[in-house]
Amino acid sequence: MSGLSFNQVTFRWSKQSDVFGPITERIPQGSFVGLIGPNGAGKSTLLRLAAAYLKPTAGEISLFGRPISQMTPAQRARLVSVVPQSLSTNFDLMVEEVVELGRLAHLNLRQRFAPVTPAHRQAVSQAMEATGVQTFRRRHFSALSGGEAQRVLLAMALAQNTPLLLLDEPTAHLDPGHARHFLELVQTLVDQQHKTVLMAYHDLATVGLYCDALWLMHQGQVLMTGNPETVLSSSMIPQVYETGFVHLSHPRSHKPMLLFP
Amino acid sequence: MRRLGFATWLGVLTLFLMLAIIVGVLYGPTPIPLMQVLTILLHPTQSINSIIVWQIRLPRVAAAALVGGALAISGAVMQALLKNPLADPYIVGASAGAGLGAILAQDFFPALGLVGPSAFVGSVAAVGLSYGLARGKGRVQMLTLILAGYAIGIILSAVGTFLMLLNRENLSTIFAWEIGGIHGMTWGHLWVPALLILLGSMAIWPFSPDMNAFLLGDEQAHHIGVAVERVQLFLLLAASLLTAAAVYLSGLIGFVGLVVPHVVRRLTGPQHRRLLPLAFIAGAAFLVIADTLAEYFPGIGTLPVGLITAFLGGPYFLYLLNRQNQRTVGGM
Repeated sequence: MSGLSFNQVTFRWSKQSDVFGPITERIPQGSFVGLIGPNGAGKSTLLRLAAAYLKPTAGEISLFGRPISQMTPAQRARLVSVVPQSLSTNFDLMVEEVVELGRLAHLNLRQRFAPVTPAHRQAVSQAMEATGVQTFRRRHFSALSGGEAQRVLLAMALAQNTPLLLLDEPTAHLDPGHARHFLELVQTLVDQQHKTVLMAYHDLATVGLYCDALWLMHQGQVLMTGNPETVLSSSMIPQVYETGFVHLSHPRSHKPMLLFP
Repeated sequence: MRRLGFATWLGVLTLFLMLAIIVGVLYGPTPIPLMQVLTILLHPTQSINSIIVWQIRLPRVAAAALVGGALAISGAVMQALLKNPLADPYIVGASAGAGLGAILAQDFFPALGLVGPSAFVGSVAAVGLSYGLARGKGRVQMLTLILAGYAIGIILSAVGTFLMLLNRENLSTIFAWEIGGIHGMTWGHLWVPALLILLGSMAIWPFSPDMNAFLLGDEQAHHIGVAVERVQLFLLLAASLLTAAAVYLSGLIGFVGLVVPHVVRRLTGPQHRRLLPLAFIAGAAFLVIADTLAEYFPGIGTLPVGLITAFLGGPYFLYLLNRQNQRTVGGM
């Protein structure tokens, strides 16, 4: 079964705007797909469609075989979570409180007044442990560094406990060390918990090291899909990015990397 | 001071409210000794003092408590919806709508005593109009809602001012109403808005987790499973009904809805399932005290309660902002 599938999906903001799609693609359950393409290619739009934040103008999006248009917000949020590029708030929420918010779709009416059941507690503390945010759980979210905040957002998605995760440039604000830990953590989730991940990503030197497959987007279309080797060595890459790259294999893992010439 | 338990603060604030109520009943132009007040409260009689306590002071204190509680909850809801710690219950046009409603009633049906009901309708209508305009097609952006409310507020205020200038003999009545005050309250006057305020507050409370989610922005709230538009519409409606019920009872009392949620957030953090009940109690106690001072201000006599809340609330708010700037940058 596919974790996420697009069937003839198109989208446009208004009659005058450019058409997005039609897109027909699917992600097998348990795979880690990287979404690449230049700025404005439509990566964020595709993620927002997959999270039902935008509604397709035509076509259908399904999560694990069920059309997303027929789900309630809570049903959908038990299947798909989103880690944004960054998030800010004007209020003094503690790290722990932010992670707890990931449980919202799992609360029944009584738990809305106090989500104290062991199941919720456990999901929250597991998520905090997996991401290493346990040590600063009582600090204010708004006072964290970029790397810390990003791990908290991943922890919130893990507390949401969804089989599908959508990540939108999750390491854009992270230093190389934090970025690596973040990506390895996501890879662990795919390997050990069989999560399905779709991640928009800019760094072509890195994306091939972690993802099982890549989707290349340009002007609202998915131009090609395939394993990282195939996509990164395609002649479309220099065309859509309007620059050449040097194609290398990683000295140890032999995975593909693109570097500036 | 923040992470004292919820139960502790609930106890402390409830005690504070009870004290405020006793002081409110005790204190007034006619001196009645404390012991007599307590006896009268337990055993009503037909004496003058008993009538003063039961028919004049208690309804007034009850009205002040309800208005304070309603404005505090409404303010907390608006701050969460608009993700703006400076939002207050009146921000999306409620005050201007209420003002115009009051002026229309005073100008055209002065004999009917419709100022309160008309203000109620005007308040809800103005918020509805702002929402309708902000809605356009598709998603309602909260920033657009603030701007639409601002524009509606300016227009309705201008119409109100125009009507006031045409009909100058009502100027002082309307002016007094716009500063806010609780006058001539009776039990008969009180029970409909009281019911609205209590039921409305209880209906809002289960949406606490959704309000917490709104603090992260509408898009993230959507991603974690909030039915964003429906919940926003419900909360906006409920908060504007609370505001309108408060306006019905007391005119436009400022600062309570802005300041009280802030103070309570200092005590127990921004989680709404704790914030809302505590804000209600704190707002009630605050307004009972302010109204008691307003009723019988030492050396002056009666003042509008809105003046007292502004005098107490304004400086305190500045103090909070100042302290916060020293502590961190950003973050409420």
